[in-house]
Amino acid sequence: MNIDYVATALALLTVFGISALMALSLNLEYGVAGVPNFGQAMFVSIGAYTAGVTYTRLLPWLGGRAGLDPCGDTLTKALALRTELTTLFPTVGFLNFGLTVLIALLLGGLAGYLASYAALRVWEEWYLGLILLVGSEVVRILAQGYPPLLCGSNGLSGIGQPFVWVHNATWSAALFALLALLLAGAAYLLCERLVRSPYGRLLKAIRENDRVTLGLGKPVQRRRAQVMAIGSAIAALSGVLFAVNLGFVSTNDYTVALTLDVWVMVVLGGVGNGRGALLGALIVTVLNRLTAIAAIALNAMGSQFEFNYVRYILFAAILLLMLRYRRQGLLPERARTTIAHDELRP
Amino acid sequence: MTDLLALHDVRKSFERLRAVNEVSLGVAAGQIVGLIGPNGSGKSTLFNVIAGGARADAGRIVFDGHDITAQPADEICRLGLARSYQDPALFFRMTVLDNMLLPAKGQRGEQPARAPWHGLWRRQEQALAAQANAQLNQVELRGHYARLASDLSGGQMKLLELGRSLMGQPKMLLLDEPTAGVAPKLARLIFEQIAGLRAAQGLTFLIIEHRLEVLFDFVDDIYVMSAGAVIAHGPPAAIAANAHVREIYFGD
Repeated sequence: MNIDYVATALALLTVFGISALMALSLNLEYGVAGVPNFGQAMFVSIGAYTAGVTYTRLLPWLGGRAGLDPCGDTLTKALALRTELTTLFPTVGFLNFGLTVLIALLLGGLAGYLASYAALRVWEEWYLGLILLVGSEVVRILAQGYPPLLCGSNGLSGIGQPFVWVHNATWSAALFALLALLLAGAAYLLCERLVRSPYGRLLKAIRENDRVTLGLGKPVQRRRAQVMAIGSAIAALSGVLFAVNLGFVSTNDYTVALTLDVWVMVVLGGVGNGRGALLGALIVTVLNRLTAIAAIALNAMGSQFEFNYVRYILFAAILLLMLRYRRQGLLPERARTTIAHDELRP
Repeated sequence: MTDLLALHDVRKSFERLRAVNEVSLGVAAGQIVGLIGPNGSGKSTLFNVIAGGARADAGRIVFDGHDITAQPADEICRLGLARSYQDPALFFRMTVLDNMLLPAKGQRGEQPARAPWHGLWRRQEQALAAQANAQLNQVELRGHYARLASDLSGGQMKLLELGRSLMGQPKMLLLDEPTAGVAPKLARLIFEQIAGLRAAQGLTFLIIEHRLEVLFDFVDDIYVMSAGAVIAHGPPAAIAANAHVREIYFGD
């Protein structure tokens, strides 16, 4: 079996960057603010679906071409048009990608803001978790059942990453990996700065006791809505990258399984610790890739054993062991928040 | 003179239990008023109703000229009415200093749009840290700022809760058993703190307390509750001599 090490490493880095965005998003919402978001896949999918819509509607318009129905008789023509525009016209591709990210951030933020209002009806935040879990599946099935969006269960291909026009495949992958890592780095810095601020202090107080926080005169619901908006915007950003990395948008990629992957990242890395989220994302990404490679290798040797399922067992085992022996995760949260603590140091 | 806090015929029931039954009381600005009564007489429920944790079924509550009967808890706190809880309701996984800083009003860094730009709120945070430190010294928690609240002793937790309430710059505090679970010597210290705050800042207090021997030395006025109703009201000396109160309270 031949393994292209450079390509594998670049793919790994790209997926790590995308996973890191998802983990940072959940860590901000659940780890810091205590909102158990079991609808993570839905907020990620908002970004992916946005890409699906912009690459089929916005991209032709930006390139000065007539739009084609991406699903019916014109399916192949529409796909050829997308591919042509993204590979031959870098500026059009970039502009489309940039606008996609912008729209995804706005839609994701809006969805998160609105979702937090479901919490108004339920004081117990774990009910909100259940609402989001179910809501996430409902949205996925609705998206699948509305063909104009993503051609139903067929999905959309030809959703190229913004560097597909670079002829050298390695360079193209490297540039995209760099973009994913830069965006993850920016999200990390933003989250860290939020946590180390009076806002972060307030979120942690809400996490621990929302009634007492309300009794101290703080607008709990508004702050919670805001953190859901920020977290969900980051999740939607990861969804755009996820889709263009695959080059394909399908509702089948945004199931509860994706949500659980992100939960493993956060619980493993350290609930409430941004660095822990990054570490968790790295471990889960590497394990995913290793088990996938092992599965392919076993298959090539003629084994009937379906190694991919080992991954699910492995993740479940990790989750159980962490909850039993190390609830705080590999990198525990740091208690103190702002610079105020340094002020008082004698 | 009008009262800072006034209750008119306040009622609160849970299913068939009438926890608070037509309670009327008044606390004038700058007073320290005690609220006593046997366990289950409705004192804590009354606090919860005043502070907006539960809504009154009937009656009217006026604080500082505002009708707060139907106001949410955060709004009532912003008007200047702070409360403490029988079991200290601290943020146990946060540091003592973070507990102190949380209730401070008008924090610029609490808005997510400003929070990431630390330069926009650093000055204010530094000033608040100094203020919190002074307050911690005053409640005998000097040097404990970086500890987790969960690591404090029971008495220290009570003191931290008192100090935290003060950081919100309230006009009046509702204290639910400020000396519960505290050593007798510390109990007196807590009441001396309260008396000092009234003298220095003109703060007003309504205090639920079971340690009558301490309470009676510090209050101007006492309300006695039993089975959800106010059964006696007067200065400590009169209450101590009231036969009816002695009967339900001391069993003689």
